[in-house]
Amino acid sequence: MSLSLKTARPVPVRLSPMTSYLLTRIRQSLITLVLVSMVVFAGIRALPGDPALALAGEERSPAALAAIRADYGLDDNIAVQYGRFIGHAITGDLGTSSRTGLPVADAITAALPVTLELAALSLLLAVVVGIGAGIVAAVRRGRPEEWLANALALLGLSVPTFWLGMVLVLGFAIALPVFSASGYVPFAADPPDNLRRMVLPAVVLGSGLAAVVMRQTRAAMLDSLSADYVRTARAKGLSRREVIGTHALRNSLVTVVTVLGLQLGHLISGAVVTEQIFVLPGFGKLTIDAVFTRDYATLQGVVLCTSAAYILINLLVDVAYSLIDPRIRLGGAR
Amino acid sequence: MRRKSVALAAVALVMSTTAGCASLQSPATEVGGERMTDDRPVRDGGTLTVALNADPDKLDPTLAQTLVGRTVFAGMCEKLYDIDEHGTVIPQLAAALPTTSKDGRTVTFGLRKGLRFSDGTKLDADAAVTSLLRHRDLAGTARATELAPLAGAEATGPYTVKLTLKQAYVPLTAVLADRAGMVMSPAALKKYGKKFTNHPSCVGPFKYVERVGGDRIVLAKDPRYYAADQVHLDKVIYKPIPDGNVRLANLRSGDIQVGDQMTPVDVRGALTEPGLQLFNSPSLGYQGIGLNVGNVKGLGEKPGRIDTPLAREPKVREAFELAIDRDLINKVVFQGMYEPACGPVSPESAIAPGVKASACPGRDVARAKRLLREAGVKTPVRIELKVSTTPESSRLGQVVQAMTKEAGFAVTLRPTEYATMLEETDSGHYDAFTSGWSGRLDPDGNIASFLRTRGAMNAYGLSDRAIDRLVERGRAEADPEERGKIYAELTRRANERRGLVYLYRQKNYVVAGKNVAGVRVFGDGLVRVTTAGYAR
Repeated sequence: MSLSLKTARPVPVRLSPMTSYLLTRIRQSLITLVLVSMVVFAGIRALPGDPALALAGEERSPAALAAIRADYGLDDNIAVQYGRFIGHAITGDLGTSSRTGLPVADAITAALPVTLELAALSLLLAVVVGIGAGIVAAVRRGRPEEWLANALALLGLSVPTFWLGMVLVLGFAIALPVFSASGYVPFAADPPDNLRRMVLPAVVLGSGLAAVVMRQTRAAMLDSLSADYVRTARAKGLSRREVIGTHALRNSLVTVVTVLGLQLGHLISGAVVTEQIFVLPGFGKLTIDAVFTRDYATLQGVVLCTSAAYILINLLVDVAYSLIDPRIRLGGAR
Repeated sequence: MRRKSVALAAVALVMSTTAGCASLQSPATEVGGERMTDDRPVRDGGTLTVALNADPDKLDPTLAQTLVGRTVFAGMCEKLYDIDEHGTVIPQLAAALPTTSKDGRTVTFGLRKGLRFSDGTKLDADAAVTSLLRHRDLAGTARATELAPLAGAEATGPYTVKLTLKQAYVPLTAVLADRAGMVMSPAALKKYGKKFTNHPSCVGPFKYVERVGGDRIVLAKDPRYYAADQVHLDKVIYKPIPDGNVRLANLRSGDIQVGDQMTPVDVRGALTEPGLQLFNSPSLGYQGIGLNVGNVKGLGEKPGRIDTPLAREPKVREAFELAIDRDLINKVVFQGMYEPACGPVSPESAIAPGVKASACPGRDVARAKRLLREAGVKTPVRIELKVSTTPESSRLGQVVQAMTKEAGFAVTLRPTEYATMLEETDSGHYDAFTSGWSGRLDPDGNIASFLRTRGAMNAYGLSDRAIDRLVERGRAEADPEERGKIYAELTRRANERRGLVYLYRQKNYVVAGKNVAGVRVFGDGLVRVTTAGYAR
């Protein structure tokens, strides 16, 4: 008996520090996701306003309300409702929108590419403009280039999104009709038309992030440029480009990537206003509509997916950290 | 007194300035009168994009609730009856107006022959009966109240339908000129059941193609439509764009061609654009302030006594109304572009015209103060007014607050989002709230559910036997002149009880590009695109 047990014992697998680190982080992420789903589910139901009333409209008799509650399972215990939701969610079924009757998964599938593309373009803009301007501001410290970069960053941080959006529409979709004021066309269907519709929203959403990235890059670069290893690199006779690009910038990127990771989540949730201005059928618009109509199924589906995206992004950022700085990976493995 | 009036005038001036500087430059005459259509010849082909102020709910005529949904249905689901530009009921899928038996309990109508649903199946009497009974009986139906008097429906011939009523119900024809009169394909109903909303199939100039929630609803010209030769567009796209500024910007950029339900501020902005045109029609609905006079247990429950001065003392409610200046509200909050109102029925109603704006009581602060003294209540009378979160509603609340303060009221405003407002007002947890209704063709549709004891939308807790009797008489009376008298008496009685202080009537403002013609906007506020197209 004991022999057979010994035989059945699995052979211990020696995991590399990186794999071990990854598995730990994935396990933590899954636990977080389950906890988040519970909080989301309970939080949505704590909102004031009865969804049955919002659905009933003109037919608000007790019988009509009872029929609606029974139809959508709203009269069940919250634990039963959660169990049903999570059971279906695991199979990819997020329910049916109580307002439109459309499957929530379809609505999310349609909205997700819009918001992801918007976030990706905004991120690209923020990285290119923000890091570029940050390097220039640090390298050209005390000169007009730094003042200009600081002024632009201040502008990017302080201009309200709605105002910037309307001004860009007036300027570049009405007065000078280069871009489109609204709507979404998938990139695969018509790339030029897609970009014509996505550039202005990306500028609006990315401007704030570009400003944050610029300031972080500038601060980190200033620290790096005054560090001993940079002085050593210079003393070794490396070119200015190598000193800045290979040594100073690479070390500064740890801080910048942290900020980008945190801000990427904000990009997805912050897309709400931008999507309203440019009538983009993304996550933000879907969320707002679901909140106002107490469309529980859509709302919990959207919030769950957004939370999952946050968790995934944080995971990716941690992985990026460990690639940039091996000390983090090794520390995590221990 | 003088100082208070000056202060009120100053508030009005500041608010009108912030509401839209354009109003100070554009004379109101530019939007005066009515313009319901543009009959310029149009060319065939093209896609029209119509911006709605909200995403429609279910595209199932039995379950649908929203005004924007009705606009989409106007493109793809015709009704047994419709209205013309005068608000008169005319046959649409029905061959003629219905005939009613002497006792009013049997209604018969014929259907047009040769009609086909968008799925290719035939429209006949059986299809009409199937739809009518579904509208009445389906779990969660939104048509139950308006079809409650319907006892039965049967096909008495291939194209003849007989309806049996529990009692005489004159508003039925008008009811059948709305969603309850939409006939759905029985084949589609059988195939899709409750998922009909994702595959709607009716008789209409356009047929359903696709819906992307929150983004668009696409309809395409239906070649099977009986008057397909009068349909010029290839496609119609409905896009929800809730923000008025964004709707206007998109009209100006040409990304959309028609903007539905534009607010006065947006209309003023549109008037400065040479490439845009305005359609407008008087609304059949009303807007006002609902007062809790007896809603103690919630909607549909027996009204009871509420121990607040406003609910307890009719004189306090009268004083509240007398402290309000309807004309000034219209000028300050809505730039003079709506109509003051003091009754549930529009004076433009073709069935029983309501009270004209000129007959509304004026502001009388001295009398309001006297009434408060007579009522023996402690002043200021404190009232919490729930307002919705729109800028117009907030401005309305602020003006009412300033006006009533002078008479001895202390109104506090509580901006409340729609779903919460619905819950709190239905359950009776309120003093007063901004209340409105988009309106129905027959006066009964603006009255019965709201003013009758335990009515489906009587959140005011109003209970008055005289009103209940008048509602029943109005429903049974076939003679138009007599009906007019009944609804005049009903309005007078409702205004005495003041469960709802009627304040103003909106206008249906629709802005379109000047290159678009054939759009029609009648009193029901729907944008009709059947004959629309791009001007030649």
